Amino acid sequence: MNEIIKIENLTKDFGQGRGIFDVNLSIKRGEVFGLVGINGSGKTTIMRHLMGFLHPDKGRSQIMDGDCWHHSAELKKYVGYIPGEISFPDVRTGVDFLKLQADYMGLRSMNDANELIESLNLDPTAKLKRMSKGMKQKTAIVNAFMCDSDILLLDEATTGLDPLMQKSFTEIIKKEKRKGKTIFMSSHMFDEMESTCDRVAFLKDGRIIHVVDMKTILGNEKSKEYKIEFNKESDYLAFLTKDFDITRQKDEYNQVTIRIPDTHSDRLFRVLSSMDVRFISHMPYTLEMCFKEVYNNANNTEVA
Amino acid sequence: MISNTLMKQTIKSNIVLWVILTGIQAAMVALVAGAGTNLQQTALAYYNMLPGLISAIYVIITGNKLISQQVDKGTLAYVLSTPIKRSKAAMTQATFFVGSLFLMFGISAAAHIFSHYITVGSITFEEVKMILLLNLGLFVLNVALSGICFLASCVFNLSKYTIAVGGGIVGAFLILSIMSMFGESFHWMKNITLVTLFDINSVLSNSADFIWKFIVLAVVGIVTYTIGSAAFSKRDLPL
Repeated sequence: MNEIIKIENLTKDFGQGRGIFDVNLSIKRGEVFGLVGINGSGKTTIMRHLMGFLHPDKGRSQIMDGDCWHHSAELKKYVGYIPGEISFPDVRTGVDFLKLQADYMGLRSMNDANELIESLNLDPTAKLKRMSKGMKQKTAIVNAFMCDSDILLLDEATTGLDPLMQKSFTEIIKKEKRKGKTIFMSSHMFDEMESTCDRVAFLKDGRIIHVVDMKTILGNEKSKEYKIEFNKESDYLAFLTKDFDITRQKDEYNQVTIRIPDTHSDRLFRVLSSMDVRFISHMPYTLEMCFKEVYNNANNTEVA
Repeated sequence: MISNTLMKQTIKSNIVLWVILTGIQAAMVALVAGAGTNLQQTALAYYNMLPGLISAIYVIITGNKLISQQVDKGTLAYVLSTPIKRSKAAMTQATFFVGSLFLMFGISAAAHIFSHYITVGSITFEEVKMILLLNLGLFVLNVALSGICFLASCVFNLSKYTIAVGGGIVGAFLILSIMSMFGESFHWMKNITLVTLFDINSVLSNSADFIWKFIVLAVVGIVTYTIGSAAFSKRDLPL
């Protein structure tokens, strides 16, 4: 049972083009899988199907071979969840809330919870009503992770966290990943996904338009982009004639950006060796760049 | 069948209103009975309209709080992200609702009996039976009304619709029943409200008519609670 989350032709039509349409995803055990898309692209709808809150119009979603709708209650033994919208039940403090949830889950030891509270620097004795958005989010994070669940569904888990805490969150994700947990997270923070995810799916208007394997980007790409700036205009102009794949150029700075396959790197250096180069820098292909490219392409094909 | 943790939580978040309204109701019946009139007159003065209004407040507010408000606010996500089935959650809430109403009228009945005994100095078995029957009637009436509110709570995602529909129906039943007392020309209104099935005169005159009426009320309750729970278990939740 290597395939732990399986989504097949999942469709939920809310009308007026909203909803999700023919979503197919397969997530392996131990994988950290990301879901990105602009607001309203259907991230939360997919999460809600996995949680068994929504009944699909067509298709189905499964967790560990159990249907997410029919077996939703049993599956919760293995699933930790952070809802997209944080709204706590009617209890006084963070501690009261975590105890209540531990009670529901039949959790005996709060050791994991205390460890998480420490790493997130949270004061759980504060009143829930007085908590800032970030504190509430941290409380929800502790709740999702404290039961040591095998599968984690995180719907925009870092909204409201300051950058430092987002780092701590990333550390928590990495730690859980090392423990072999399967994590399915939606976010619109690209750097957070870059540092944690194995694969990322792009969602647009309820459809998966692309699934990117993180191994193929972030400096691992086979063909890299370099930005080169020359001290002399003559060198710059000479370089332009050398038949490189130029992606951008800025004449006023004598600056050019080229894309070149790794196998041709030596040719670049031979050409540059005779020139007066001010700097050369590698432009890593980030998730964000990839996303924008795919998104815009999807737009263009629609127009055409 | 029910979740103890959820039950505890539900009791905690609903007890304040329950205590206040149960207290007011018990105090009211004790005061009316303490006036020293005979049981028939007390019954007509008190049971005809007052308790219906007080318990209606409880039924409408609590009915909304038990399910709909928690879906609306999103707090139910935390209950349903644990291995508790939706049907179990609904059953727990329904049990609390019916149980709290039972206790509410149990306490009212006790207050009435106690106050009558203190004021008159004695109480007959017949009188105790009558007081218990009147409160049983109020209980089944409220089971029916709470069932309607519970059903609305199970069906709507937004509190405002639950209050509008559940509260609207319960409120309309009560108003129709009160209006029908305002004279002959309004009398027909009695025929279209559930409250009429709480037949005080039948209880007071020792006729057996009230039995089937109470049963109908209980059945309305059972049906609405059952449909509500089933609907809640099967529908989409925006959590």
